[in-house]
Amino acid sequence: MSTHAASPSQPAPNLRSDRSSFNKERHIKYWLRCLKTHLPTAYTSNDAQRMTLAFFILSALDVLGVLHTKTTPAERNEYVDWILRCQHPNGGFRGFTGTMVGEDAALENCAWDSANLAATYFACAALAVLGEGMEGVRKTECLNWVRGLQRRNGSFGEGIGKGGRVEGGEDMRFCYCAAAVRWMLRRGDVESIADIDVERLVEYIETSVTYEGGIAQAPFHEANAGLTYSGVGALSLLGKIPRKGRPSSDGKMMSPEFINDLTRWLVSRQTLMLQDIEDGLDVAEDEFAHPGSAPAPAPIAFPPTFHVLGGFPVPAEIALHGEPLALEVSPYDQQWVGVNGRCNKVADTCYSFWVGGTLGMLNQVYLQDFNGIRRYLLEKTQHMIGGFGKMPGDLPDILHSHHGLVTLATMREPDLKSIDPTLCISVSARENFEKQTAGGKVNRTL
Amino acid sequence: MGKYSDSAEWEDIVPISQDDGGPNPLAAIAYTEDYSEAMSYLRAVMAVDEKSDRVLGLTEDIIQMNPAHYTVWLYRADILLELQKNLVQELEWLNTIAIKHHKNFQIWHHRQVIMSHTPTLPSSEISFLARMFAKDAKNYHVWSYRQWLVRRFSLWDSELPYVESLLQSDVRNNSAWNHRWFIVFARYTDPEKHSIKNNDADSQVEPGIIEREIEYTKAAILMAPQNQSPWNYLRGIVRKQGKGLVGLKSFAEQFANLEKEDEVRSSHALDFLADVYAEEEENELSGKALELLARRYDPIRKNYWNYRRSMLGFEQVGA
Repeated sequence: MSTHAASPSQPAPNLRSDRSSFNKERHIKYWLRCLKTHLPTAYTSNDAQRMTLAFFILSALDVLGVLHTKTTPAERNEYVDWILRCQHPNGGFRGFTGTMVGEDAALENCAWDSANLAATYFACAALAVLGEGMEGVRKTECLNWVRGLQRRNGSFGEGIGKGGRVEGGEDMRFCYCAAAVRWMLRRGDVESIADIDVERLVEYIETSVTYEGGIAQAPFHEANAGLTYSGVGALSLLGKIPRKGRPSSDGKMMSPEFINDLTRWLVSRQTLMLQDIEDGLDVAEDEFAHPGSAPAPAPIAFPPTFHVLGGFPVPAEIALHGEPLALEVSPYDQQWVGVNGRCNKVADTCYSFWVGGTLGMLNQVYLQDFNGIRRYLLEKTQHMIGGFGKMPGDLPDILHSHHGLVTLATMREPDLKSIDPTLCISVSARENFEKQTAGGKVNRTL
Repeated sequence: MGKYSDSAEWEDIVPISQDDGGPNPLAAIAYTEDYSEAMSYLRAVMAVDEKSDRVLGLTEDIIQMNPAHYTVWLYRADILLELQKNLVQELEWLNTIAIKHHKNFQIWHHRQVIMSHTPTLPSSEISFLARMFAKDAKNYHVWSYRQWLVRRFSLWDSELPYVESLLQSDVRNNSAWNHRWFIVFARYTDPEKHSIKNNDADSQVEPGIIEREIEYTKAAILMAPQNQSPWNYLRGIVRKQGKGLVGLKSFAEQFANLEKEDEVRSSHALDFLADVYAEEEENELSGKALELLARRYDPIRKNYWNYRRSMLGFEQVGA
C-alpha cells in the first residue's frame, strides 16, 4: 500500500477570513534560526532527542518549500553527515552524539551508547526530507535490530540495554516508529531479512483501543490523540486501514465499527475550551472577551456514593438543575476551534495535527471545522516572531511550531507543500522512498 | 575550571568531550558549561562502565539538568541494583525530581524499574501519588504508573473508592473514568496476553457489576449531563453487556426530547439518541437528532453530523 494526502475530489476549505493570515516569511525566519544557530539553553532537556528536533526543523523548511533554496548543497551534505554520524554500527540511530565515546567504544560499555527506535524513525525520515536515499543506512542491521525490539505481546521497546534486554516502557509511539522504519527500509531485495511479527503488532494495537474509540499508550490506558495517531499510523503503514477502491494486500482489515468509533472520538477532540481554566490567568483571552460568552462551568461535586453497597443517593430533582443551561454557543465563540488530546482537556496546538493527521489517514480531514481550527492556529497560537506556541500567548517551540505548520498543510494552506499524514513528511519527500527502491526492483511488500 | 575538573575526587578521570563532527551539526544546543562538563565526565565513566557512589552523584547532577537523557537512567538503575543501594531512598529522591519535572516520562519508567525490585508496597507510595494528582489529576504518566502498581501489588479493592473520591471532586476527570474502567475490567485479564479487547462482550465479568456500573454512570450524567466522559463510559459498558443502546432510550430522552427542541440539555444525549433511533430503524428521528446537533447544539462538529446524516440518506444542514 501507499499513503495519500486527502484526495482532491473532497470539498476545498473556505480559507477566507478577516484577520487570519499565515506569516510565511516569519515562519521561514524562525526555522532558519533553528537550523543555523544554536538552540537556546532551555533545549538542554531535549538533548537526547536532538534527532527529533533535527527532523522537525528540516521537515518544516521542506513543507515551507525552502529547504533546498535557503541551504547550500555543502550544508545539506553536512546535515546528512551528522545524521549518519549518529548511526550505530549494529543498526539503528542514536538520538544524539552525547553518548558516543569514540575510540573507547567497547562491548562492556555499548549498553550506554545504544541506538533508539524513535531516533531511527526520525533519522530515516530526515534523510528522505533532505532528498537523500537510504543508501547510507545499514538496512540489514537496522531491520534486524528493530525485530529484536519486539516483545512477546507484540509491542516494541525503544532500545537494547544490558545483557540484550529490551528497554523502554510499553508505548504505542514505539509501535508507530517500528512500523514506519519497516515501511521505509523494507523495500527491494529484503527477502532474506526476517520480518517483525506483524500479526502480534496489530493485535497489540487492537487491544489498546479503548471503550472511547481512541487508542492508548498500552491496553487499558486512556485514549490520547498522539497515541491514536501512532496506533492508526502503524495500522495504516501495515496496510490495515481500508481505503476506497484499494483491496487489502494481506489479511484482514480493521472493522467498520472500529473506524466509526475512532472517527467519532477524533472529531470529538475539537473544543471551544482554548485556555486552561485552572490556570486562572486568562491574559491572552481578555482582549477578545465577549459579553455573550458563558464562563466554563465550575466542576460540580456529586454526593458521596456507596457503589459497593449498591445505593446511589442522587436526588434527581436537584441533579436536574445542577448545571446551567448554556449549551448553545454564540456564533462569536464558535470562530476559534481548538483541538484537545483527551476528553475534557484544554486545546493544544500539537493535537490539531495528531487529530487532523489521523483523520487524513482515514481520508476524512474534511469532517473537521477547517475555518475554526485555522483561525485558532493563526490568531491564537501563531507567534509574531514565527512558529506556534502550545497555547494562546505561549512562546513558540520546535514541536508545536512544526505541528501547527503541518496541520495547515493537511488543510491545504496555499504556499505549503502537501504532506503525507501517515509518514508526517511532504508528499515529495515520500516519493524519495518510492523512487529509490534498491536494485530497480518493484516495490513488493507495501 | 569546573565542579568536576577542580575536584580531587575526580582527578583520575580524563573527560571525553562531545564530538559533533563537522561545522554544521543539526539541532546543536547552547549548553551551559556545567552541563558540558558533567556530560564529558559521564562519557568517561560510562566508557569504563564504572559503578560507584561518585557516579551516582554524577547521574543525579545530569538528571537535574536533563531528565530526558534515557541512557543515564538505565545506567543509574544498573548501578543502584549492582551496589545494592537502599531503594526506598531512591524513591524519595525520585519524588522531588517528579514534582519538579512533572511532564517527564523517563522518571516514571525508572520508578517502575525500582519498584519492580521492591517486594512490598512502601507505605508512602500512595500518598505520594495523591500529591502528584493534587498537582495534575490527569497526568498521563502517573496514571500509567498507577495501573502498573495496582497490578503489581494487587490493589484492586482499595482502588474503586479512590477513583470515586476523584470523580466526586471533578466528575469531568476523564482519566479517573478510564481508571475506573481499568479497575472494573482489567483484573480479569492477563497482562502478558490481554487478548480481551475493550469492545468485546465480556463473559468473565459478573452481571451485577455491569448493572452497578450503569447505575453509577447514570447518576453521574444526572449531575452534569453535558459531560462526555460518562456518556462514553456508558456506551462502553453497554457494549460489554453485549446489548444495544435501546435499553437506555428513556434515560437519554430526559436530556433531549425531540418534541421540545429548545430544551435540549445535553448534546451527548442527542448523539446517543441518534444511535438509539438508528438501531430502531427510526431514521427520521435519528436524522432530526443529528440535524439539531449540526444546527444548534454542536455546530463546531457540523461537518461530522452532516456526514452521519448522509449515511442515513439525508441532505446536509446549511450554515
